[in-house]
Amino acid sequence: MPANARWVLAGLIVAELAVFGLIADNFFSVANAVEMLRLAVEVGLVALAMTCVITTGGIDLSAGSLMGLTAVGLGLLVEDAHWPLQLAIPAALLFGALAGGLNAFCIVRLRALPLIVTLGTYSLYRGLAEGVTNGARSFSQFGDGFRQFGQGGQAWVLLGAAILFWLLLERTSVGRAWSAIGFSPEGARYARIPVARRLALVYVLSGVMAALAGVIYAARVGQAKSDAGSGYELSAITAVVLGGTSIFGGRGSMAGTLLGLVAIVVLQTGLRLAALPAEFAGIATGLLLILTIALAAGRSWKTWVAVGGVAVALAGWVIVRPQPVARKFTVAMMPKAKGDPYFISCRKGAEEAAKELGVELLWDGPTDLDPARQSEIAESWITRGVDAIAVSVLNRESISPVLEKARARGIKVVTFDADAKPAARDFFVNQATPQSIGETLTDEAARLLGGKGDFAVVTGALSAANQNEWIVWIKRRLEKYPGLRLVKIVPSDDDRDRAFAETQTLIKAEPTVKLFMGISAPAVPGAGEAVKQSGRKDLFVIGLSLPNLNKPYVRSGAVQSVVLWNTGDLGYLTVWSAVKGQSGASSINAGRLGLKVIAGTEVILGTPFIFNKGNIEGFDF
Amino acid sequence: MKAAGWAVLALAAVLAVGAPGFFTAANLRDLALNNVATLITAAGLLLVILLGEIDISVGSQFAVCGLVIGVAPWAAPVAGMALGLANGALCGGLRLPSIVVSLAAMVALRDAIRWTTQGAWITLPAGFQWAGLGQDAGQWLVLGFAVLIVALLGWALANVGLLRNIYAVGANAEAAHLAGLPVAAVRIGTFAALGAMVGMAAWLNALRFNEVQPSAGTGLELKAIAAVVVGGASIRGGRGTMAGTVTGVVLLGMIGAALTFLGVSAYWEKAIQGAIILAAVVLDRWGGRDAR
Amino acid sequence: MILLQARGITKSFGAVRALRGVDFQATAGEVHALVGENGAGKSTLIKVLTGALEADSGLVERAGSVAAVYQQPALFGELSVTENLALAVERGRVKGLINWRAREARAKELLSLAGAEIDPQRLASTLSLPEQQLVEIAKALGTDARTLIFDEPTASLSQHDAARLFRIIADLKARGTGIVYISHRLEEIFEIADRVTVLRDGESVAERPIAAVTRTELVMLMAGREVSAPEPPSGKVPGEVVLEARGLKVRKGEIVGLAGLVGAGRTELALELFERGEAALVPEDRRQHGVIGAMTVAENVTLASLRSLMLDFPAEQKSALDYQARLGIKTASVNALVDHLSGGNQQKVALARWLATSPRALVLDEPTQGVDVGAKAEIHRVIRELAGQGMAILVISSELPEVLALSDRIAVMRRGEIVAIRERGQADQHQLLDLMLGEAR
Repeated sequence: MPANARWVLAGLIVAELAVFGLIADNFFSVANAVEMLRLAVEVGLVALAMTCVITTGGIDLSAGSLMGLTAVGLGLLVEDAHWPLQLAIPAALLFGALAGGLNAFCIVRLRALPLIVTLGTYSLYRGLAEGVTNGARSFSQFGDGFRQFGQGGQAWVLLGAAILFWLLLERTSVGRAWSAIGFSPEGARYARIPVARRLALVYVLSGVMAALAGVIYAARVGQAKSDAGSGYELSAITAVVLGGTSIFGGRGSMAGTLLGLVAIVVLQTGLRLAALPAEFAGIATGLLLILTIALAAGRSWKTWVAVGGVAVALAGWVIVRPQPVARKFTVAMMPKAKGDPYFISCRKGAEEAAKELGVELLWDGPTDLDPARQSEIAESWITRGVDAIAVSVLNRESISPVLEKARARGIKVVTFDADAKPAARDFFVNQATPQSIGETLTDEAARLLGGKGDFAVVTGALSAANQNEWIVWIKRRLEKYPGLRLVKIVPSDDDRDRAFAETQTLIKAEPTVKLFMGISAPAVPGAGEAVKQSGRKDLFVIGLSLPNLNKPYVRSGAVQSVVLWNTGDLGYLTVWSAVKGQSGASSINAGRLGLKVIAGTEVILGTPFIFNKGNIEGFDF
Repeated sequence: MKAAGWAVLALAAVLAVGAPGFFTAANLRDLALNNVATLITAAGLLLVILLGEIDISVGSQFAVCGLVIGVAPWAAPVAGMALGLANGALCGGLRLPSIVVSLAAMVALRDAIRWTTQGAWITLPAGFQWAGLGQDAGQWLVLGFAVLIVALLGWALANVGLLRNIYAVGANAEAAHLAGLPVAAVRIGTFAALGAMVGMAAWLNALRFNEVQPSAGTGLELKAIAAVVVGGASIRGGRGTMAGTVTGVVLLGMIGAALTFLGVSAYWEKAIQGAIILAAVVLDRWGGRDAR
Repeated sequence: MILLQARGITKSFGAVRALRGVDFQATAGEVHALVGENGAGKSTLIKVLTGALEADSGLVERAGSVAAVYQQPALFGELSVTENLALAVERGRVKGLINWRAREARAKELLSLAGAEIDPQRLASTLSLPEQQLVEIAKALGTDARTLIFDEPTASLSQHDAARLFRIIADLKARGTGIVYISHRLEEIFEIADRVTVLRDGESVAERPIAAVTRTELVMLMAGREVSAPEPPSGKVPGEVVLEARGLKVRKGEIVGLAGLVGAGRTELALELFERGEAALVPEDRRQHGVIGAMTVAENVTLASLRSLMLDFPAEQKSALDYQARLGIKTASVNALVDHLSGGNQQKVALARWLATSPRALVLDEPTQGVDVGAKAEIHRVIRELAGQGMAILVISSELPEVLALSDRIAVMRRGEIVAIRERGQADQHQLLDLMLGEAR
């Protein structure tokens, strides 16, 4: 039956290739093949070991978190302890083995269930990574050689690991033992298989592979942060299950896992190159998963219902795909995160400009603040052959080489909101620098508090790069205000409800705090709601957010000021710059915004604006 | 469950010494309100875990139900029940493994939400917050309603034949079938009940604010599973109590706020949470409970 | 009044004919004992009587329902006694609210009818074995069963608990319940039964009032009339001692048979030898322990003898084919799943797995249980061959003819101890049965 499912999967991949070959631009190209391979490596490494874990009837949810912890550990060893990479990498892998060993100890010695144990270490390893780096620290001093390796060299690592794991699972007595344990731990014991040792090995190996994936993540992205590898465990499990390995244990197939991986990666890349919503990937993957297990369970007619469902979905894509029209100038624009209200209002302005200019606008970006994903999307745009790329940069180290590559291919590159390295772009549309944001916020806090008092910052995710940069500038500006004290930084994970809860707790836990400064768009209304509900009139809330999200709170007096520029205008100006910007010019005529100054290679939007009770009703974004 | 209870007491003792301000009525009420969604979800999830199944799509279900509120405020539990029914039909009807089914549902629903909303928040009618009551009355309404639902469910789990069957099916489906219980119907119904609870959680959460975020509920599944498991339920089914689950929610809900009160940096919160889950596992093992 | 009447019951499992035209009945106010050696077909008959199994042919008529109390009770461990009783009594009919008070009252009533002093609120998992059995009896009473079948209820009870059980049975009998009582302990039969039926090889060989039969006659009936002549001594020269446990020695080239009742501690002895690493073990529970059904024949054969890291597939195929030929494993291919094989062939696979390790000593626990006649003969042939090649072999079997036919020496185990060792030819089936039952000296 697994073999059967594998053929179905292979058929689906062929179907994917056929569909994307038809509707996606430059899908069949060497560049795209290399790109897909690079994308697949880290999830692939985790998935290889996960295949073995699932074959024994277990699961390892901690793999993605361990990737993050290892990446951070590698950074610490290289940057702080000044270890050479030749020493630091083996140390990182050894650490992975130890972390896997903790899982093994709990599962084998304490006989606790893998799902619970690895749920605990999932949280523990990510938390340790955040703890030792204060969430913020990002390591990028790995040297050019390492970075260079991450541009394709890791494919060989995956290839090597795939061969080794295939041998291990399907050609050695160890793999046979894992399979026997997966079918029947008791039966394995009666065959004199050292069940405890074999189980321990599989979790240790999973740890080592997660660590290796963490190292390669650092090489590919050029940067290591505590959030590396978030969600990779789920992608890996998906690939394994798609590949026909039974979630109940017993039969595992490395070839199947690799096919599953290919199916996912082709889907993701193909959707991007076809300019279809990236969200279809999740929907299609979900359908595929259910189809796969239904096949494995041998539910014949029901399977056909599922097959029919997937077929309908596939047909749906082809129908909704953009009809080929006369090829227009295409601007591809990427926010830091797609769902962020800040960028949603940016997009409105961008669309307005695209309409005026008669160009096509592609809008895509990571769903969470994931720098690796930004590079992936930019790469796919290069492959697709767009005319201009505009990026709000999450991590300048990781994206700059990609953008340089785009420029070398004759694509015009503009950055907006946050800059890359100057050599990597034609223009930077500068709404406000981190410095000016930090200073404006701090000045505003000082004004409201009369120059002295305690305040707290409600940030986004603890590891969010842009917020952490603002915090640095806020702290620097505090030198000007000796009476002001930043007593606490709490995370909101860009979740209004979390910002609300954290603020509510802070109001009571830190009674000296008089002002809350939200520095992620949902954090300000969250803090505002908490202050509103507290009924306290002596507390201030300010922050960086959107007027519309905060209007009720500004009206009611819970939020005093919202610092921002007109985000719609930012999107608008970015598209104008991408289409009309001439290098060397000293200004640009930007439609309804009129003439805008170009200082060097920076197009200046204007200074940050402070929205308050007096003026906020006049804005709608 | 015992381990979780002792951990709550230990944490409370540390707080009593280190940060007595934690125990003000207002703080406890706010803390409770902030954990309402987790509590109700965990209570529903307990039912599914008692069956020996799992549902990791509750976070995505929560977000879908939140969006439904924007369309029809009262339809959230119905929408949740529909999603639960779908999961139940696949897991209980076709007997597909629930971890894979709910993984698929989690990924597919989350991306479907992203696609349809493009991240935009949904603003609810002004009178929706606190159901049009004042804040004080509204808070007590939400809290009271949540406690009532969980208490009712806990009571029903002990006293209503239909729900009681979950224990028998989870402990030994074969024997339950022989005892004349409708095993498949129990399974499907339990997943649907969880969906309805998630819808209720989304509805109560929306009452506290006046906007719904489409990214809501991210990570809710892990919080809820952790609470149920730390609360002493066996992931293999058949064993677990509502009181234990409530204790689990209290423990995990307390940690974050307690750390803030004790002045511990928020950066270590996740690590401490993970350590507590592991500690509960270890204590349960040493306490001689059979988790396998 | 006849409560249960079975006529001409026939039931086969694959090639094994478990029951051949058995007649049986239960009468109100009478204890009807059912005796027979292990494998005589008693368990199958019970299942047919309760309706858990469908007979291939024959007729079962029941006046009122029939319930069985098994040696190993099957309760929901995490539920209370009250609830276990309620689940059995209500059979899922409760829709609305549970009336705990009524349930508990009913539970108390049933427990007192069963003569049990158990707090109905206790979890079933906290009950001792005799207590669980009492709950099972209460369950049976709760279903208004007019016929109650007791399947070896005293096998793991103390004398005190057994005595209490007999009082309860007497009570039930006095109230007009029909009792079917199965036990290996013949003294119990004479104590409580009114009538006895002897099953042998799936046939009812006798049905008599208890007063009309003696103990010796009963043993004769169970063992079979044509008592095989004692086998001649094998004349083997005993080699060095390879296995030793609890005073039992097994020498090189020797087959020792280990007889005893179910629960006498034979399997525990086998496990002890296996875990000490002294002997290979073909375990009793073939499906759970002996083979891994979802793996192929070849994979199962080599599973215990994978010495090197890398698998050698050609060698694996060759080895599997060798054993297939040598043991006569009937399978379409050595790459077929073991699940698809018949019981006898699965057993041969389990045996092949350990032969592949070239062990010095081999323990076989019930090697021919549920195996058809042809496969049984083949397994016996292989066992003799192996001994001939110098292997020390311990065969645990509940089938006395098998023990007698195979063994150079026979050890008898009772309540965890070796109570007797007989040379080949020094014991017949009657003597062994007597030793196993533990009454004759």
